[in-house]
Amino acid sequence: MKNERIAIISGLRTPMAKAGGKFKNLQADTLGARLVRELMMESPIDFAEVDEVIIGNVSQPVHAANVARVIALRAGFPESTPAMTVNRNCASGMQSITSAASKIHAGEGKIYLCGGVESMSNIPFIYNKNMTSLFEQLSKSKTSLDRMRTIFGFRPAHLKPIVGLMSGLTDPVSGLMMGSTAEILVRDFGISRTEQDEFSLKSHEKALKAKNSGRFAQESAPIVYDEINGEYLDYDDGIREGLTLEKLSRLNPFFDRKNGTVTAANSSQITDAAAAVILMSESEAKSRGLTPLGYLANFSYQGLDPRRMGLGPVYATRDLFKKTGLGMKDIDLIEINEAFASQVIACQKAFESETFAKTHFGDDKAVGAINPDILNVNGGSIALGHPVGMTGTRLVITLLRELQNRGLQRGLATLCIGGGQGVALLLEAK
Amino acid sequence: MKYFKLQKDSQGIGSLIFDSPKSAANVFSSESMSELRTLLTILEQDAEIKALFIESAKEDIFIAGADINEIKMAKDAQQIDKFVKQGQDLFTQLENLPFPTIALIDGACLGGGLEMALACTYRIATSDERTRLGLPEVNLGLIPGFGGTQRLYPLLGYAKAMELIVGAKQLKGEKALKLGLVDACVPSGYLGFKKADFIRQILENNLDAKIKANRKGVRWYERISFTRNIIDAIAKKKIAQKTAGRYPAPLMAVEVMQSSFLKPLQEGLDIERKAEIQLALTSVSKNLIELFLISEELKRDSFSQSKPKQIKYSSVVGAGVMGSGIAWALNNQDVEVRLKVRTYESAAKTIQNIRRIYDGVIKRDRITTREVDLKMDRVSFTKEYKGFENMDFLLEAVSEDAALKEKVYAEFEEVLKPDCVIASNTSSISISDLARTLKHPNRFVGMHFFNPVNRMPLVEIIAGEKTDDETVATVVRLAKQLGKTPIKIKDSAGFLVNRVLLPYLQEAVMMFEEGEDMQSVDKALLNFGMPMGPFTLIDTVGVDVGESVSKILHNAYGERIQPSPLMKQMVEKRWLGKKTKKGFYDYAAKEVVPNLELLAFASGSASISQEGVVNRAILIMINEASRCLEENVVDNARYLDMAMVMGTGFPAFRGGLMRYADEIGAAKIVKSLRELQATLGDRFAPSQLLLAMEKNNTNFYGDLS
Repeated sequence: MKNERIAIISGLRTPMAKAGGKFKNLQADTLGARLVRELMMESPIDFAEVDEVIIGNVSQPVHAANVARVIALRAGFPESTPAMTVNRNCASGMQSITSAASKIHAGEGKIYLCGGVESMSNIPFIYNKNMTSLFEQLSKSKTSLDRMRTIFGFRPAHLKPIVGLMSGLTDPVSGLMMGSTAEILVRDFGISRTEQDEFSLKSHEKALKAKNSGRFAQESAPIVYDEINGEYLDYDDGIREGLTLEKLSRLNPFFDRKNGTVTAANSSQITDAAAAVILMSESEAKSRGLTPLGYLANFSYQGLDPRRMGLGPVYATRDLFKKTGLGMKDIDLIEINEAFASQVIACQKAFESETFAKTHFGDDKAVGAINPDILNVNGGSIALGHPVGMTGTRLVITLLRELQNRGLQRGLATLCIGGGQGVALLLEAK
Repeated sequence: MKYFKLQKDSQGIGSLIFDSPKSAANVFSSESMSELRTLLTILEQDAEIKALFIESAKEDIFIAGADINEIKMAKDAQQIDKFVKQGQDLFTQLENLPFPTIALIDGACLGGGLEMALACTYRIATSDERTRLGLPEVNLGLIPGFGGTQRLYPLLGYAKAMELIVGAKQLKGEKALKLGLVDACVPSGYLGFKKADFIRQILENNLDAKIKANRKGVRWYERISFTRNIIDAIAKKKIAQKTAGRYPAPLMAVEVMQSSFLKPLQEGLDIERKAEIQLALTSVSKNLIELFLISEELKRDSFSQSKPKQIKYSSVVGAGVMGSGIAWALNNQDVEVRLKVRTYESAAKTIQNIRRIYDGVIKRDRITTREVDLKMDRVSFTKEYKGFENMDFLLEAVSEDAALKEKVYAEFEEVLKPDCVIASNTSSISISDLARTLKHPNRFVGMHFFNPVNRMPLVEIIAGEKTDDETVATVVRLAKQLGKTPIKIKDSAGFLVNRVLLPYLQEAVMMFEEGEDMQSVDKALLNFGMPMGPFTLIDTVGVDVGESVSKILHNAYGERIQPSPLMKQMVEKRWLGKKTKKGFYDYAAKEVVPNLELLAFASGSASISQEGVVNRAILIMINEASRCLEENVVDNARYLDMAMVMGTGFPAFRGGLMRYADEIGAAKIVKSLRELQATLGDRFAPSQLLLAMEKNNTNFYGDLS
């Protein structure tokens, strides 16, 4: 990114609600619309000034194919404001931001509303192929005899659904579930179960502290999720109080039941949430006299072995450093999305490893060791949850807020992406 | 021609276009009807004409009905007879034309408009929102008089026709097609195609068979008088429930329909006309027509000369029952609404209240769940006035406590832009007083809604000393946008409705203290036509609310309004009415009974006649209302009446409080007041205005001959 920085004027997210829980009756468009509306209502920017709405979303709701457009209209944008949905799997919530950045640089528009939304509660179960062909056959059957014949072809196995959530979290090329790619990293880097559980416990502890101190309330807006009974949520309900290493160690591994180490508790939680930011060029913000939350200074996307997708942050960060001439020592705070504890630990190990740098990039020195004290200082997706299309935007908001709170300047927000990619954003507070 | 344009094409298809000059609506006056008569007489002799379409040149209206003013002006039976006969004969002439006629209904088609369409051979309606068909005459104390009671049932059947006329129902195009009232229904964009289709079929002469199948007509069982009697009985029972026998028109409609059933047309029309003459001469009809005309006048009155400001973003501060109701009204009309709340619980509660009002609307099939979900997207909330710098309008509905209100004003005036209109929903505190601490008092105004907001149409608009005209214009238009009727009231204690109503409530309480039975007081006033007895009303509003209003009025108007010691004790005992399950009545059990513990406070042993109860309660209101007119609290007696009808449910068949006073006459009122003054005290001392009216032999409506 050679052009001027992109100002992130303001950002907001919903509370993170465990899937199947409080937000289960809110479809992605409803959740997104209510959040985006609140951000716009608080903002000095008028709806009509926004050039486009770009929303990241992975499992697009069946009833709202281009969910960004539905969100835009429901949130109160004029009909003339265009909207598009972007999907780069787990990085969709960052893709919306970088897409807007590129558009601003290309002179396509000046002000963008970007974000990410995911209602993992509402990822549907799908009829399997046998059942759908039976339905097709039935609709084609003309006589009642035909119809009877078709109906007699029904077998109970036809009812075995394809679980949309599971399919979505499986890489179709390698055929591996995301958790299984994490197990590969466990084997590659020799990461123990205890290491992973300790990491997860810390994530919860840090998040709990942030929650109790009101730190998360800074960046989120409450959502009335049940109008009929007047129920609302104003906190992240996945954060566990009173969690211990012992409790964590009791869980059975989920992806490799015999030998594995990755459990539901040392993986990110399945969660519903939405987040959004308002973007414009630095000069535009200046001319309007606005004080942005922070700036996007540069970014990088890189591809890698889908079976080791968890290492995406290392690839993307290395590229980002190469582009900017910066190194790990220049970074004040880091957010690496916690898809899996083992995956973040693997990244840490790969970041500091000369051998890894040499074998994979042909570099003579490591990308750079991470100071654990500046990594995910308010916990991560293990405690808060990982609504896939939303997390990218959340990381940007939470990192910029934290830089502001601590009076620091430079942050790195990076994610691994299912299918074998990584993204890294260089963010600046001032 | 002044009202109608006649066009004819080469195929012999004629079009008669109704376009009243200098008016947004087409109505049948004797002038427009006689012009139509001339045209029909010419057309009768035109051998080239194969079919005639009747259309309207108006945007949203086909024909709105007969000219109400002409009915109002008619002085005696003869004049009414002449007017009604003119309409009846005209439509019979239309029906007898030697070629088919087709009404093209795209817009409101009501009363005389629908009666004309019924005299056409065919009717095509559009399915657009603006298109409504109905015979709402009973709402004006009349029945359809231009053949509506005769030509409707042969199309719809007896029971359906009865329902439409007695219930004054208005149908959309699709529903009218389903009932067989119209022969085709299309979106207005397809009207041209449908017209061409009709022309082709008429020319090919094969239209009738198809269309007849859709007209259900009189059912076989409706030809049996026994079944018709049942239909009549059901209709009469419904009428009795709704009108308590106060409104003769619906019952008359049933009678006319029954006695003219399947009689030759002219005979039926005569029965209809006779009934219409009888109804038009009743005071009920005259009162209802007057109220209708006042409401039309109020729709046009902007109470200001300035151009209203655009309101896109609105906000409500103070999210109690009133705040929720007003937020609903704004949201329902697609005005963006943002709530300022103290806690998120109260935000969720308010959203729940709004949703509940919508659920009621969903149940009545007026809106779909999907539409409500989308509307609910537009309600947002904040604890810290976030985003209030964008607001164009703020409505304050915090508790009735001047100090609290002033504190809140100081908070939000920090954030608001200087031209954001601020309205207070105060029901009793002076707007000029509240404005004292404001930095920009010119944009501050009173907007007093009534509870429940979703059902009560009145909004009192109160301009303080410093309120500017643009602010008044803005809130008047906003209230109208919300479907309400705004009336401007002078800034004075109690404004209008509460000031007039409170003495009435207190008089009831005093009668109770004198020993009169509370239920019999309630009953007397229910019989008078009030929608609720005074004790039930106090319990509904809250004894505490009534008590605090009486203090405010006492401070402002002195001796004649005394805070009731009984109500003060009730407040101390927390007998606040329905909300605490105990007030004048006891609501704890399923059956509501008088609060027996109160009997200890009723010292006297008075027994007042029903007439005496009404006399005291209503006369004291008339007296206070006349003072309001004296002090220019409201522009005129007509507006005052409308405010009382809408704000308190004062019986519409009586035309309003002042109209009722006019019926009694100033002389008699003054005499009664003096008698009451002698026995009960100076609160009954007649007002200056009443004394002057007595002296000059004038009345409130100024139409005393």
